[in-house]
Amino acid sequence: MPTQRLFERIDSIELQQVSKKYGSRYAVESLDLTIEGGELLILIGPSGSGKTTTLRMINRMIGPDTGSIRINGQDVMQLDPVRLRRNMGYVIQNIGLFPHMTIGENVGLVPKLEGWDEKRTNARVRHLLDFVSLPPERFIKRYPRQLSGGQQQRVGLARALVMDPPLLLMDEPFGALDPILRTQLQEEFLEIKKEIGRTIVFITHDIEEAFRLGDRIAIMDNARLVQVGAPEDLIFDPVNELVADIVDTKRKFKHMDTLNVKDLMTPLDAKYILNGGVDACDAVEIMKDREIEIGIVFEKGMLAGKVEMVNLLKCEDDRPFLRDIAKPMKVFALRDSVATALSEMKRSGEYVAMVMDGDTVGGMLVSDEVLLKLI
Amino acid sequence: MAATEMILNATWEHIVLVYTTLLASILVAVPLAFASLYSQRLASVVMSFANLVQAVPSFAVIAIVVPFLGIGFVPALIAIMLRALLPIIRNTYIGLTNVDPAQIDYANGIGLSEWQIQRYIRFPNAYPAMFAGIKFSAILANSIAVLTAFIGSGGLGEIIFQGLIGYNTEKLLLGAIPAIVLALLIDLSFTLLEKKLTPGYIKQ
Ligand SMILES: Nc1ncnc2c1ncn2[C@@H]1O[C@H](COP(=O)(O)OP(=O)(O)OP(=O)(O)O)[C@@H](O)[C@H]1O
Ligand SMILES: [Mg+2]
Repeated sequence: MPTQRLFERIDSIELQQVSKKYGSRYAVESLDLTIEGGELLILIGPSGSGKTTTLRMINRMIGPDTGSIRINGQDVMQLDPVRLRRNMGYVIQNIGLFPHMTIGENVGLVPKLEGWDEKRTNARVRHLLDFVSLPPERFIKRYPRQLSGGQQQRVGLARALVMDPPLLLMDEPFGALDPILRTQLQEEFLEIKKEIGRTIVFITHDIEEAFRLGDRIAIMDNARLVQVGAPEDLIFDPVNELVADIVDTKRKFKHMDTLNVKDLMTPLDAKYILNGGVDACDAVEIMKDREIEIGIVFEKGMLAGKVEMVNLLKCEDDRPFLRDIAKPMKVFALRDSVATALSEMKRSGEYVAMVMDGDTVGGMLVSDEVLLKLI
Repeated sequence: MAATEMILNATWEHIVLVYTTLLASILVAVPLAFASLYSQRLASVVMSFANLVQAVPSFAVIAIVVPFLGIGFVPALIAIMLRALLPIIRNTYIGLTNVDPAQIDYANGIGLSEWQIQRYIRFPNAYPAMFAGIKFSAILANSIAVLTAFIGSGGLGEIIFQGLIGYNTEKLLLGAIPAIVLALLIDLSFTLLEKKLTPGYIKQ
């Protein structure tokens, strides 16, 4: 039975004096926040500060004790919860794919419940799987547990987008992924964000992720909203110590001039190593097994470059060898300055580089991990 | 010739009794298990009753039915059902409640209604356990259906009892062997059915 579309686009989501108590403790207290249509708003803050509670009040999974939440002026408490939720996409950290349904059935479930015919559902599902770089012909019939963590996360995103909702609620969607995979999905998500231009509320623990993705960042602490603004507002004008702590990247970078690449590199994990003689389709399977999204290609012991899962997925046409499609990557020496290395990487938009000690591999430099080590 | 006919008739009666009971049990047990999801009290009443009946010897269950319902096909059916319900109810209930709560939460989050969560999430999850319960009940019903001959259900049990009473070994075997073969066939057919019906996510 189709539910009616509630809104074609979001003009604003207004939370006014919203409070929610569990027992005598506030999970969210007197929250005033306006989310503007088309923006990606980040919710960040210590564990237990009320981020998830806030998000789940927007789709009525939790009812506020007091205050109101209005989407385009309509109070969500006046709307039918099923209908409301079908008008927004919802993505969570542990993805929540249903293990007894294939990928196609998972993504197509809500359209089916909305009474779409099979043909239309199928076309939509295929389009979306393609959109998140999972070739439908290979993935549509698989079950969730036959997919790697990163692939499942992509399916989760496809499922959230299936009804083309004007609003996406995302609760630490990349939180469970390892740093490289997370960075990779963030990059892809930025592309998706550009293409779809919808309103997104996004929870994260990771300030780098917040800076990379967010238009505005709302900082929560102890059930309260502490500050909300663009990244530079928070960096240059923090309202208190906590905000300064969370966003003050300057301090993190203070000692960076004295450090070498060697101090902050990570050893090259064997799982990232791929042989140049492997063809692209086989590489996809190997990378899936190893749960990696990026591979470092070696040919006869020499670094040939890197390959990324997204670029390999459409391998079936000519099955090229990795040695022929590996992309060049930045290489640094052990004694190079980390600051220079990072800014070079940032300029070319790369997040992983090789570190060589003469002819032998020294390790990898992963921009996110470097930042984590500096904190 | 008459003997063959007698055995075929008895076997047929037996099969009818077993499968009617099984069907009736499924029709009662599955809705009860679903209803138990919504009422903790119903759940505990149903489960303790089912466990109690399980603890009583089959013969006693059969005996207790007679003063209330008399003898014949229907009382026999009720007696068998009292035993056969338990595995189906228990397995279905466990299957329905053993769903990862995160999945239910997520299903709510993407806008599934209560009924749709039952239909698309809980039921498929409960299905393998439910089927195992039904298979177990079928085998149980087959063996109790031999005993209910005592209260006039007919079937293979009647031939066995006649054999027992008359010290007639031949008759005893004529009743016992088909009953054993039936049990094996039930087991086999359910195993085959199970293979065929196993959901893809478990198979692969
Ligand atoms: N169902 C509940 N019952 C009781 N307390 C709850 C419940 N849900 C949340 N809380 C409490 O409310 C507070 C806010 O929880 P919430 O999940 O919103 O935090 P969060 O900011 O999302 O934390 P995290 O970063 O760890 O996910 C916490 O102190 C939590 O323990
Ligand atoms: Mg949370």
